[in-house]
Amino acid sequence: MEKAKAPIKRSKKSFLRQWQLMLMSIPMLMYVILFSYLPLVGWIMAFQNFRPRFGVGIIRNFLDAEFVGLAHFITLLDASSHTGARFIRALTNTLGQSLLTLVVGFICAIVLSLMLHEVRHNGIKRFIQNILYLPHFLSWMIVTVLVSMTLALPVSGGILNDVLMSLRIIQEPIQFLAEPDYFWGIVAGANLWRNLGWNTIIYMAAMTAIDPNLYEAASIDGANRYHKMWHITLATISPTIILLIIMNIGWLLSSGFEIQFFLGTGPSIARAENIDIFVLRFGIEEHNFGLATAAGVFRTGVSILLLLAANLLSKLMKQETLF
Amino acid sequence: MKRKFLLIVVVVMALVLLAACARNNEDVADPGQPEPGQPEPAQPEPGQQLTLSPDQPVTWNMMVISDNMPPADDNWIMAEIRDRLGVNLVFDIVPGDLQDTRIASMLAAGAELPDIIHVTQLDAHMVQAGALLRLDPLLDSGKFPRLYEHHKPYRGRLTFRAGPVEEGLYQMAVWNRFYTDSEGGGPIMGPMHGGTGFWIQKSVLEFHDFPDLDNMNLERYFEMIEEYKAANPTIDGMPTIGFTFPMLGRVWGMTNPPQFLAGHPNNGEVIVEDGIARIYHTSDYAEYYWRTLNEAFHRGLVDPESWTRTHDEYQAALASGRVLGFHDQGWAFGTPRSALIEAGRYNRTWVPTMPVMREGTTPWYADRPVLNVNQGIGIPVDSENPELKLLFFETLLDPEWQKLFMWGREGIDYHVDENNMFYRTPEQRRNADEAAWRLSNRLEVLWGAIPKIQGSLPDGNAYNPANQPSEFYAGLSDYFRFFLESYGKSTWTDFVNKPPSNPPYYPAWQAPIPGGTPAAEAAAQIQDILPRLVPNLISAPPGEFDARWAEFVAEFELVDIEALEAQIQLFIDDRLARAEQ
Repeated sequence: MEKAKAPIKRSKKSFLRQWQLMLMSIPMLMYVILFSYLPLVGWIMAFQNFRPRFGVGIIRNFLDAEFVGLAHFITLLDASSHTGARFIRALTNTLGQSLLTLVVGFICAIVLSLMLHEVRHNGIKRFIQNILYLPHFLSWMIVTVLVSMTLALPVSGGILNDVLMSLRIIQEPIQFLAEPDYFWGIVAGANLWRNLGWNTIIYMAAMTAIDPNLYEAASIDGANRYHKMWHITLATISPTIILLIIMNIGWLLSSGFEIQFFLGTGPSIARAENIDIFVLRFGIEEHNFGLATAAGVFRTGVSILLLLAANLLSKLMKQETLF
Repeated sequence: MKRKFLLIVVVVMALVLLAACARNNEDVADPGQPEPGQPEPAQPEPGQQLTLSPDQPVTWNMMVISDNMPPADDNWIMAEIRDRLGVNLVFDIVPGDLQDTRIASMLAAGAELPDIIHVTQLDAHMVQAGALLRLDPLLDSGKFPRLYEHHKPYRGRLTFRAGPVEEGLYQMAVWNRFYTDSEGGGPIMGPMHGGTGFWIQKSVLEFHDFPDLDNMNLERYFEMIEEYKAANPTIDGMPTIGFTFPMLGRVWGMTNPPQFLAGHPNNGEVIVEDGIARIYHTSDYAEYYWRTLNEAFHRGLVDPESWTRTHDEYQAALASGRVLGFHDQGWAFGTPRSALIEAGRYNRTWVPTMPVMREGTTPWYADRPVLNVNQGIGIPVDSENPELKLLFFETLLDPEWQKLFMWGREGIDYHVDENNMFYRTPEQRRNADEAAWRLSNRLEVLWGAIPKIQGSLPDGNAYNPANQPSEFYAGLSDYFRFFLESYGKSTWTDFVNKPPSNPPYYPAWQAPIPGGTPAAEAAAQIQDILPRLVPNLISAPPGEFDARWAEFVAEFELVDIEALEAQIQLFIDDRLARAEQ
């Protein structure tokens, strides 16, 4: 699929003619520079043994700290040391949780959008959409409490166990929060419950651009509902899907924080601790800021590489690219 | 028209952004000349405020580590402090489990420090980072006699030596400074047991006809619980819980018992024998304890949700009155106990028992109170008027003020009898039990954070109504009276041992573990292994316990336990050496 690139006039005149737009974007630009680019100065901590002394100012603290080079990175990736083993476990957990969330989230969002698209009655469609969007607005605190209550044993009001036992799928109640192997599923499930409706927005928006005549033409050609879904609807939104996949691959090393923090203590630590929790426990609580920053730098570096790789792959396959 | 509108929107947005970026300066309203920040306290400048009076009001931000609620707006103690001393306190209450993160972010960001800082972190990061003022010159200056006396007997213990800052006293002692010598003379124990125990519900003991609790062991303990549970599978409609313990946020609730079963007091992660510290998590005592719990688990007595319940849910379970037995420390479940008493369910509260592993071991569950070191209240190093703040604490240490905090207003909250002893009417006692009343009539948030008189006040009354013997007996409900009489005991502490003198190094959990050392790494590893593997031990299917125990021990082999023991040993040796001087 070739994309026609329209020639863009980059003259100073047209730039200045859009001065209102430029002015409107300045606050957000300042915000991004201030909160996303300026703090990159702090990356220097990843190469130091940073022990802040109060009252001397942050620059002095940076200059005073002992320079250790790549020592922190080596500690993190050295599987024989305890910290390294912990970090690698955290890395595995992060990737596992994100991939599961990604795969489950994508498939369900696309299927749901396709199903919603088939609803003929506009009023019902709107009603369903509004209900689907609602969980997105709940804060993570509430969602974790709900998840905790749902997964408890039946004596404490755990409805999931109740439902599974009534359907005769399991005989004995399962203590989901005490078994480490369920935790990735819990993360993916909680993310799905919260974000499914929200994620359908983009796909629904892309689907409105489809020309209804295509469906009529397809019916004439003898296509049934599923053929139409596959060849018309899905085909039209596939560039959107690919773009979103590429963007989400950039976020693969971030699998959330609140669920792991509130529910991932105790026996599930082995599968719950992700990079964010690792940074909190080993970096901030131990006051080892250098190690925490090194974990963060590692994560950002790898995420950028993943993003570039995914983009390149897409370009080679002649699909949509992000840049 | 559209262009003008757009322009206005842009300008408004820019203004909002600039306003949000402006620094918020709501600081000390000190009428004297503000000084540029000095690391050492200077002599008071002429014109700087030297007295506390309502004509020269000050507002102080105070950071407090507490699980208490902030006081109600009509709190009369806050009003007294404002009207008599001119001090307006704005509390920043940080719950205990968020303390580490808060301190770390404050230090890393170099944030503006609050005017008064109360922290309870044992590793004393605040002190190590140089954020707190060294108080020795001020204490020794003679201007604050009460504070000086308060710290005098314990000056050595309270002096901070372990860090990059100059040796000195940085945090004022807040808890367990007893003004009657707790080593001799005066009552050693109050009527309530605030320490560790294997608690058992009063109704269970009543069911078994008040059996003798001496020479207790875990077999008998679980037997009693099992029989009661069989007879009462639900309590007030909710399923009965045989045995539980706090774990989330308090791993020691699950892992402390082995040392008590061995007849040792609470030294944290170690058992100290002949002055040598050893970690006990892989010892015989630990194996015995987990194996017993595993058997009890299969008899349906140990609640499997013990290790997935959050701390709030645990307290709620206790307050529901359906927990027959648990292991915890008395000070930690005051709220559920009050809730049960408020609801009149006296027989659902608990009594401590002291099981041991080997028959004949003397239990040491109850200990004499120990001064809390590295936990206290300090003044930031850039404070403009540290003398004024010390004057504030000096004033509050006056017995007249201390009475206000704990007893209240004479005639309204308590009365004085002809022997000058304080007493309360039943209504006044009921009030004090109600949490809502306390938000307006007690200032528990501040009380927990200031240097205070514990033990006896100079006039002979106890500092706390709960410790006044006459009050205790007068305030007992009929059921409690009946229960104590059935056992032939007069206070709740009669159920636990008489505590021997504390060794100089007690409690060993006060040993500081400097960050970034092999000892700290070992401690972190242990804190990872315990919550991860111990629940597996307890819930091991029949026959698999030995295999899982072997796995547990193998994991511990990978930890550099010697480094941690050596670090704690340094602390013990230091204390022993000092004690000989």
